[in-house]
Amino acid sequence: MNLKDLFKPFTAWKNLLAEPVPIKKPLERQGAPRYRGFHKNDLEKCIGCGTCEEICQNAAIDMVPVEGEETEEGDSGLRPRIDYGRCCWCALCVDICTTGSLTMSNQFQWIDSDPDVFRFVPGADEKYWDDEELGYKKPDNYELNNLDRIEMEEMEPEKRNHTFLEIVKGFSKEQAIQEADRCVECGICIATCPAHMGIPSYIKAIRKGDVEEGLRIMYETNPLPEVCGRVCTHKCETVCAMQHRGEPISIRWLKRYIADQVSLDKYQEIMGTDNLEKREEKVAIIGAGPAGLSASYYLAMMGYNVKIFEALEKPGGMTRYGIPEYRLPYEELDKDVEYIKSLGVEFQFNTKVGEDITLEEIHKDFDAVFAGTGLHLGRSTKIPGAEHEKCYQAVDLLREFTQGKEIEVAERIVVIGGGNVAMDISRTLARLQNKQYGQVQLVTTSLESEDIMPADEEEIIESREEGITLKPGWGPKEIKVEDGKVKGLKVIKCLSVFDNEGRFNPKFDQSENDFFAGDMVIEAIGQGMDISYMEDVELTERHKVKVDENYQSSKPWLFVGGDIVKGPDAISAIADGHKAAQGIDNYLSSKGEK
Amino acid sequence: MTEESKYRDKFPAKNPDGTNKIDLDSHKFIKVWQGPNHPGITGNMSLELDLQGDEVMQCKTHVGYLHRGFEKLMERRRFIQCFPICVRIAVPEPDFNEYCLSASFEELAGIEIPEAAKWMRTLLLEMSRLQSFLMWMGGQAGSFGIGVVGQWTNYARDLVLDRFEEISGGRIYHMHMTPGGVRGLPPTGFENRMEETLQTIEEIMKDVKDTLFDNTIFKKRSIGLGVIKPEMVEPYGITGPNARAAGIPKDVRKDYPYLKYPELDFDVLTAENSDAYTRAELRRQEIHMTIDLIRQIMAKMPQSGDYMAKVPNVLHWQIPRGETYVRAECTRGEYGYYTVTDGSGYPRRINVRGPSYTHAVALMEKMAIDVNIADTAGLMVSLHTYPPEIER
Amino acid sequence: MKDLIQKLKKRFDVNDVVYQKDNQTYLTIAKDQAVSFITHLKDVEGFTHLVILTAVDWIEDNEFQLTYMLNNPGKKVDLGVRVLIDREEAEMESIHHLWKTAATYQRELREMFGIDFPGSPRVNEDFILEGWDDIPPYRRDFDTKEYSEQTYYPRPGRKTHDPAEYMKKKLYPEE
Repeated sequence: MNLKDLFKPFTAWKNLLAEPVPIKKPLERQGAPRYRGFHKNDLEKCIGCGTCEEICQNAAIDMVPVEGEETEEGDSGLRPRIDYGRCCWCALCVDICTTGSLTMSNQFQWIDSDPDVFRFVPGADEKYWDDEELGYKKPDNYELNNLDRIEMEEMEPEKRNHTFLEIVKGFSKEQAIQEADRCVECGICIATCPAHMGIPSYIKAIRKGDVEEGLRIMYETNPLPEVCGRVCTHKCETVCAMQHRGEPISIRWLKRYIADQVSLDKYQEIMGTDNLEKREEKVAIIGAGPAGLSASYYLAMMGYNVKIFEALEKPGGMTRYGIPEYRLPYEELDKDVEYIKSLGVEFQFNTKVGEDITLEEIHKDFDAVFAGTGLHLGRSTKIPGAEHEKCYQAVDLLREFTQGKEIEVAERIVVIGGGNVAMDISRTLARLQNKQYGQVQLVTTSLESEDIMPADEEEIIESREEGITLKPGWGPKEIKVEDGKVKGLKVIKCLSVFDNEGRFNPKFDQSENDFFAGDMVIEAIGQGMDISYMEDVELTERHKVKVDENYQSSKPWLFVGGDIVKGPDAISAIADGHKAAQGIDNYLSSKGEK
Repeated sequence: MTEESKYRDKFPAKNPDGTNKIDLDSHKFIKVWQGPNHPGITGNMSLELDLQGDEVMQCKTHVGYLHRGFEKLMERRRFIQCFPICVRIAVPEPDFNEYCLSASFEELAGIEIPEAAKWMRTLLLEMSRLQSFLMWMGGQAGSFGIGVVGQWTNYARDLVLDRFEEISGGRIYHMHMTPGGVRGLPPTGFENRMEETLQTIEEIMKDVKDTLFDNTIFKKRSIGLGVIKPEMVEPYGITGPNARAAGIPKDVRKDYPYLKYPELDFDVLTAENSDAYTRAELRRQEIHMTIDLIRQIMAKMPQSGDYMAKVPNVLHWQIPRGETYVRAECTRGEYGYYTVTDGSGYPRRINVRGPSYTHAVALMEKMAIDVNIADTAGLMVSLHTYPPEIER
Repeated sequence: MKDLIQKLKKRFDVNDVVYQKDNQTYLTIAKDQAVSFITHLKDVEGFTHLVILTAVDWIEDNEFQLTYMLNNPGKKVDLGVRVLIDREEAEMESIHHLWKTAATYQRELREMFGIDFPGSPRVNEDFILEGWDDIPPYRRDFDTKEYSEQTYYPRPGRKTHDPAEYMKKKLYPEE
């Protein structure tokens, strides 16, 4: 033993008078600014997608309805309730939160004798830390979601405004899987899709590399996937959970990807429709547009004998005669139609109901009728000069061009309208101008300012790229005609389009005006319907055919759907057709029982 | 005749393999359970001791008091969901679990993490080593009755935990390394606060040296206690300070360099004659080496930059079939994760190699023989074991 | 590493070699050669450190994979030796004579996977699971969730809603 070792430990006595180190008031101790303390949730931001519940490895989170949070498009109305008996404060829920609403405070003290209070809905159940600024938030450069879309390859503007070839190239397998990987499978989009397609399910099928499964899922709710995969208004993407902090999933392109991968000759085998059980009843469909095709598909699947009467020479309705080929190539539309045809659906073209055959005549031969004749009549602005022969209707021109007829293309053109039809005719004519004159001189003007233009955003962007001059926010005043020739369009400033109650009631400033020179003017301000073939059906106050939730009109055997009831858009028409098919089935089944 | 064997002859003769013959019916023995709740046991574990007089004749270790089946639980969790679980496998130093788990997933998925993340991980691992050693130091002193050292070093550890809290928002379970990178770089002003902490610890360590290492009581009881001979290292799978104190220069940081260790300047510390005192002294030196490493890291570490690699959507992340073993040097030796994936969204099998698995079971059972019952706690602590990593 | 594998291939039936990383290789060896192979590695090739011994349950192939992770401290390389054994009659020769600590691993494997190592010290003694009466819990067919649901009672009052289904109920229940 050495003496040093005996005495050295006593140097610890020097601490006898030292200041003690413990925290004097432990209850007041603040957590660090990044402390992973109690949860906070910004209920306004939260959309109830349930991704937090999905990632929680402790199963501590339940999605529950919360008072004051309504279920609406893009918001399930559910909010996370956390069970602090299970939570481990790993903050994965914060990291993955699609909206960034979920965060943590730096508070960590909560004492209560009732264990049940520790199961609470952050944000809804008021807590003392709700306004605490400090605490863990998802770090900026740390991301568990993939916010950016896989870019879609498109034909360059200089090339595409000379041709009617399809602009969008479509995903490769690798791209599709990467894009599908971004989906968090919350299913918020389903409610917004008019057809309520099983979007997360078919996206999952892409991830698994099983496009056949994807195709089956799509056909459950939508028999025109090639069409919708290209021209759908994709309302689903506007509510996608990913769009809150990043870009929405390219749902439309993924749908197209599935349909593109499978060749038509495999459809029946994949869908198991090579041997459908037949029924006695016959159903007639008027109009081979999306609504009619959809109804005919689902009726054929139920075994009905279905025949479609179409006024024009080919099927597709507006998707063929309205939408230009560069957006929807005819062969893709034909693919969807061919499959429906292969299920035994009969088509009779060039037969306009009301002219070539009456509705009553059809009713004699068929047990039920579905009418989805759409909106094919152009509306006029009725401004001075609109009756001039060089003032055309967009829908007429688009139809004639599709039919292969020669249409007039002036050197300078003015298009009136701010919707997709206006864009379609502008871009079609721009291509023809390029062909004929080597340059685009086309002005498209709309009442609506650019932020409220009804056309799809990409249509607006792409129109500009193709050399079209957009002049939003002007109201048409007069088509200037000199010596019997159209000289252009006089416009006045449009201050607002809708009144305070949201009704169409434009206000103009007469003092501010402009003039767009042009040798022809095209009106694309909306379409009307021709339902003169339906006699004695009840109409609504807005002069649409009155139907119940099964799309049954006042005549029990007559079902009506599509643009003449709702819309206008293809996916709503498809949804209508589907529901009407079920309505017809109910109607005929109950009739059969009697 | 040696001092020991003079009174040894009153004991029954040993078996050829060095174990004792136990005959409980002879009434010469008494069976004592030390643990599972005993201050001398590191965590929940128990020693079944057969005593003769106050000397241990036979020791059997019993674990299973906190088996939570983490390896199995991870088999039914997505890859990203594993990291909040794995930290619980070694409570006092969760970061080695985080690192090995993340690194094994990254390796199998072919993900390279950014530079800043590598530095950050190195820093976290060394900070973890520091706080774990500090806690251990108190435990070792306490198990020999010198309680005040535990008070000091646990205070010092709390200071390191404060720094952890700043970085990660958690004191014990930091959960800062996720597959793909880390959750953030240190906040502003961290460097100064870290340096302050290190200086305080250095001050405290001076007192610890005087009070513990230059203390007759400690020396008397620990020198010669639980000697690990170099030839025991291989058969018992001994790693870390336990092996290094026996003169075997095993250190994963040098032998299988990972993260930013190749860019740091340090030597593998070794000693001779691994008894409880040597091991404590080696760990004391390791504390200073770790302090030095943290200073080096703080000086070299980038202040900004990416710290998270792009990972697939973690909800659907699938890792191709494969297997790998990733190791790191924790305070107690070789920590490792053997990870098997099968191409699904879940790990097929994760096996955790905690150093305590060998140290606290086979080695402890051998070393406890002939030890005075008063010293078993000190012996156990001197092996630096954490039961949760034995049973995972 | 490649040289070593070539050398080993001459003497043993070595299959499925995977060079995982610079200093880590995996290979499969037949069950009847395994212990002599491992002994050779330890005594001749310098793989003196048994890092881990564990099992993987390939239930779909009706096989257990035993993984002997061996380390050569001199050359600083690892060799993962896979041995596939039948899952129904899971039994393997013990290696406790090579490494004392192997007995612990084998005892655990016996308990957690039900793999027997005849002759291994205390192999049949409970290790972690005292009084366990179900199938060995680390086998894939043991369902931890089901077990816990049967063994413990769930906390009452927990109910969750799927966002998509809930929205359907609220917004378009008729369809």
